Amino acid sequence: MNQWLDERLNISRLNDKFLRKAFPVHHSFFLGEITLFSLIILIITGIVLALSYEPSNSLVVNSFDPGTTAKPNMLPAAYHSILKLNAMPFGDMLRRIHHWMANIMVAAAVIHMMRIYFTGAFKKPREINWWIGLLLLIFAALTAVTGYILPYDNYSYNTVKVVYGIAASIPWIGTWLAQAAFAGNFPGDGIIPRIYGYHIMLLPGILLALTGAHMLLMIKQKHTQPQYAKRLAYKKIVGVPLLTQQTPIMLMLTLLFAGIVILFAAFIPVHPSEFFGPPSTTPINNIKPDWYLLWVFGALAIIPSFEFDIFGGFIGSEFVGAILLPTVVIGVMFAVPMLDRSKDMNYYAENPTNHPVRLAIGTAFMAMLLVMSVAGYKPDLISANVLTTANANTVLWILLFAVPIATYFATIGIVRGIRSLREADERESMAHAAAADD
Amino acid sequence: MTRYRKQDPEITRRRFINAAMGTTATVGIVSLVGVLGTANPIFRLTRDKMPPVPGDILVHAEPSREGQLVKVSDLSEKLVRAWPQGKAEDGSPLIRKGDPNNVLCIFRFPKGQIVAPTVMEATIDSEIVAYSDICTHAGCSVANDDQNVGDMKCPCHSGQYDPKRGCKVIGGPPPRPLAQLPIKMDGDNLVVGDFFLEFPYPFLTEQEWQARITAVKSQLA
Repeated sequence: MNQWLDERLNISRLNDKFLRKAFPVHHSFFLGEITLFSLIILIITGIVLALSYEPSNSLVVNSFDPGTTAKPNMLPAAYHSILKLNAMPFGDMLRRIHHWMANIMVAAAVIHMMRIYFTGAFKKPREINWWIGLLLLIFAALTAVTGYILPYDNYSYNTVKVVYGIAASIPWIGTWLAQAAFAGNFPGDGIIPRIYGYHIMLLPGILLALTGAHMLLMIKQKHTQPQYAKRLAYKKIVGVPLLTQQTPIMLMLTLLFAGIVILFAAFIPVHPSEFFGPPSTTPINNIKPDWYLLWVFGALAIIPSFEFDIFGGFIGSEFVGAILLPTVVIGVMFAVPMLDRSKDMNYYAENPTNHPVRLAIGTAFMAMLLVMSVAGYKPDLISANVLTTANANTVLWILLFAVPIATYFATIGIVRGIRSLREADERESMAHAAAADD
Repeated sequence: MTRYRKQDPEITRRRFINAAMGTTATVGIVSLVGVLGTANPIFRLTRDKMPPVPGDILVHAEPSREGQLVKVSDLSEKLVRAWPQGKAEDGSPLIRKGDPNNVLCIFRFPKGQIVAPTVMEATIDSEIVAYSDICTHAGCSVANDDQNVGDMKCPCHSGQYDPKRGCKVIGGPPPRPLAQLPIKMDGDNLVVGDFFLEFPYPFLTEQEWQARITAVKSQLA
């Protein structure tokens, strides 16, 4: 059969070009793969969920508790279909797997990105793939947010209201933009169909296209080679081929990973729609976005109030915290490959401790995002009497700068320690070698 | 380098193709923007989306007793959420919850506690006061402060308001106080006395808000 296919499709060329792609053997190279597996599992579970989900926010009679003819019990159709889904065998389980997988996909992508950054894999010639990767991260987060709006319970309702407010806070065009993006003044009759369209068509389409580009570039440019490859065969590509060595490893990893996620989806509920209830005027106490947006949420909580207008456009703290600040943060991340001025091609993954400043800036950056995420817990910190209303902002603002600076110098110090230990080791082994020679 | 360049009287092939492609791209983009315009449906100011109108009766907004009339005995230092209830075209009662930003909060404080900058004429006997319940920061529904009874705290970004002092901002990011709604007693019912005194969320300027009031008045007249 191989010959039959080969004569028609020239698969031996495909084999030479793609299927023999060498994969470096190192556990940190599985992070990107885990992201890819999550995306595949998300698409499969998403298709199954879409079969039972009703994308509409028009009101229908609650079939579980219809009420009376005079006063029927009405629910938004989307929320009602989630209740029905939850009542289906394994329906709730399917939702949990999908939701957990989304969280883990973003997490795996972030850790994958950290690996790329700390080992200098973003350097020439791989700048384009760093940018595509960043776009993937942004669109993954957008897909996840539209995803947890879809159940249209009270939590989703509050989320989409804040998202609408953020879109509307953009000066000059905000109101029009928010209305165009969310089908009219909040909550428009078409808001759920609109978000459903984004979540199942537009955003996954973009994600898949970008993923394809990411993979093709990676095959074209090859992985950065781990350090052992340098010792083994300098300037040669070292690794196991995709077919048939890497494929079983990947399959095993997918199954193991899926198994683990399903296991804790079974025991740890996520986004309990029935608990949140249908959209209502009663807010959810201490509502928080998912973890990867917590830093934006925290920034909104500590930016003091101000409002001024330039040429008829309003610039308020909401715009600065939720649009301007993330733009700056993402802009800095986009600029990372441009800050590197080496003209040479980078073939080998670098040891992070050989680049202490880059390592320290990276850890300080993450520390800053972490402090901002902690600031998202401001109401809880105040309720728990850790902070008071009066000092919360001051303390959090000081931490926002103090913690990253401390992290920076701590990292530099630790790297120096590691280096001196390594040098001591080398001296010792040299001395041993010298002693053995005598 | 040639000293003389041949001047071609006609347009070059490259220029022609570039101009043609540029024109096509411009027309294409402009028409796409036109398509985007259809993404934004027209806003129709129906009666259920109108802001609280003078004469509206206040009814409970909590899901468990939605639509029941708010009585003075229901009120305390903890907020009671209410909808304005007006009349539909056929005269039947209509809760104005088509716009979720219409939700109100009502407080009742012992006499003497409500002070400026609250507008006293807009309260009932300086005891009962009503505000928009929508945070001026990101549009969340503001709740009771769990630590200081009688204050308000927004669950989203912990904006804090003091309803005894005109709902002025006493903490957190909100840019403006919550808008006060003039109320009065009509028999046993709480009734809206006038439109919001300041512009409520999501309006950005006084002009926008006045334009909405004019639109409401002309439609109800």
